[in-house]
Amino acid sequence: MDRSSRGVPRRESIRQARRMSNWTAAALIAGTGTAAVALAHQARQATVTATPSTVAIPATAAGTTGTSAAAGPRVTHSVATTTASGVTVTTTTRTVNGQTVVTRVRQVPAGRDD
Amino acid sequence: MTAGTAGLTRPVPGQRGPWQCVPTGDDAVAVAERAALGTSARVAVWPPENLGAACTATDDVLAALDRQASRFRPDSELSWLNSAASRGAGGGLFMLGDGLAEAVGVALAAARWTGGLTDPTVGATLVSLGYDRDFALISQGGEPPGSQGGEPPGAPVPAPGWQRLRLDGPLLRLPPGIRLDLGATAKGLGSDRAVRAVMCATGGDGGVLVSLGGDIAVAGTPPHDGWPVGVAEAPDQAGLSRPAQLVRQAAGAVATSSVRARRWRRGGAVLHHIVDPRTGRPADGPWRTVTVAAATCADANAASTAAIVAGVRAQEWLAAAGLPARLTGHDGRVRRLGGWPAGDGGLVPVPPGSHVYAGGPR
Repeated sequence: MDRSSRGVPRRESIRQARRMSNWTAAALIAGTGTAAVALAHQARQATVTATPSTVAIPATAAGTTGTSAAAGPRVTHSVATTTASGVTVTTTTRTVNGQTVVTRVRQVPAGRDD
Repeated sequence: MTAGTAGLTRPVPGQRGPWQCVPTGDDAVAVAERAALGTSARVAVWPPENLGAACTATDDVLAALDRQASRFRPDSELSWLNSAASRGAGGGLFMLGDGLAEAVGVALAAARWTGGLTDPTVGATLVSLGYDRDFALISQGGEPPGSQGGEPPGAPVPAPGWQRLRLDGPLLRLPPGIRLDLGATAKGLGSDRAVRAVMCATGGDGGVLVSLGGDIAVAGTPPHDGWPVGVAEAPDQAGLSRPAQLVRQAAGAVATSSVRARRWRRGGAVLHHIVDPRTGRPADGPWRTVTVAAATCADANAASTAAIVAGVRAQEWLAAAGLPARLTGHDGRVRRLGGWPAGDGGLVPVPPGSHVYAGGPR
C-alpha cells in the first residue's frame, strides 16, 4: 500500500470524526436547550398552581398576618361571609334630626322562614 | 377580624343604584352591598377607587343573569324555556342565548361531575314542594312558598334526569314536561362572572371579591394573606350571618349550602330548598351545612349542594373530588376535609382547575 492509498482513508476517517463531533455538539446544544425550556416551563407551572392552592401558610390568629407572596394591602377585618343564601337583607341609611339612622331590613317575616 | 356588617353606610360614590358602602375598619379596601336576585350581593375591592366601576360591572352581570336564568321572573329566558317546553307536546329544540347556554352547560357539567346529586331538571320537583316563587316576594304581601292551601306535599316528584337534556352549543333539546332550575350552580356562576367582569372593567388593577348570597369568588391580586372571610351557616332572624370561623381566601371560591336556609312549612311539614333529585324530597342527610372551596364558585356551589344531598356519602365524595370542605352535622359537630384550616385566620387551600365552568381556570 503506498502513501497516497494510506492517506485517503486517513483523511476520510478524520472527516468522519469531524462529522461525528459536529453532530454530537449539535445534539448536545439541542438537548441542553430543550432541557432548559422544559425546566423553565415546569418551574412556571409550579409557581402558578402553588400560589393560590397549596401555599403552606401557617394559620394565623385573627387580626394578625402571616407570610404571603401577595402584593395586596394588609386587610384585617372580614369583608364578607360565606353562608347559605338566606333572604334579602337590605341596609338603608337616613337622617333623622341630624342623626344618621341605619336600618337593616330582613325581607322575610320571622316564622315564615325558619 | 370582625364581621364588618354593622355601622354607618352611605351610597357608593358615583352610583345611583342601590349599592351601599359597608365600613369594615380597613381603609385599604372598599366594600359595598345591595339586594339582588332575592338575596344580597357584596363587592370588596382594592384599591378602593375601583369600587364604583366594580359595582357597575357587577350590576351588569347580575341583571343579565336575572334575565337569563331566573325561575321566578316571568320574562326571563329560562321561564320562556320552561313555559315553551310545557306547551310543546313533543318537547322541542331551543336556540338559547349565549348567557343561558353557558348557564345550562355549567348545570349539566355539574350534574355529570356529581353523578346526579345536582340536577337542573328539578324544576317541577321544587314546584311540587311549594317552592314556586321568590322568597323575597313574601315581604311584599305575597303568599309563602307552599301556598296551595297549606296541604302536605303530595307524592314526591323525582327529577326526570339531566341525561335527558342535550346541549350542543346554543341548541338545547328539552323533552316535554321538564322544567329547569339552575339553583345549584347559577349563583356561583354569577359570582364567577362578576369577578371576571370587575377585573375587565378595572383593567386588571388590584383585586376583587364578590359574594352573591354568600357564595364568594375572588380574582386579581388578593390582599396580603388573602381576603378575610367569615364562615357561617345561615342568616339569623335578624338577617345577620354570625361567622363560626374566620378564614382567608387568596384565590378561587368558597360556597356554602345549608338546610337551615330557605325553609318553609307545608301541611305541618318543614321543607327546605335543597332537594334530592333522586327522591324528589328535601335532602335529609346528617349534614345541615357544608362549605366547600374550589377553583370556581360554580364548582363550589355545586359541590356544597351535592354534599348535602350525598348525606352519609358526602365525605367520601368530597375526598374523591379533592375539595377542601367544612361540614356541620345536625348535632353541631364540625368535620374538616382536604386541608380546610382548623382555626381562625388560616388560608383556605384551593385545588386548581374547574370541573364545571369553562370560563374558570383550567
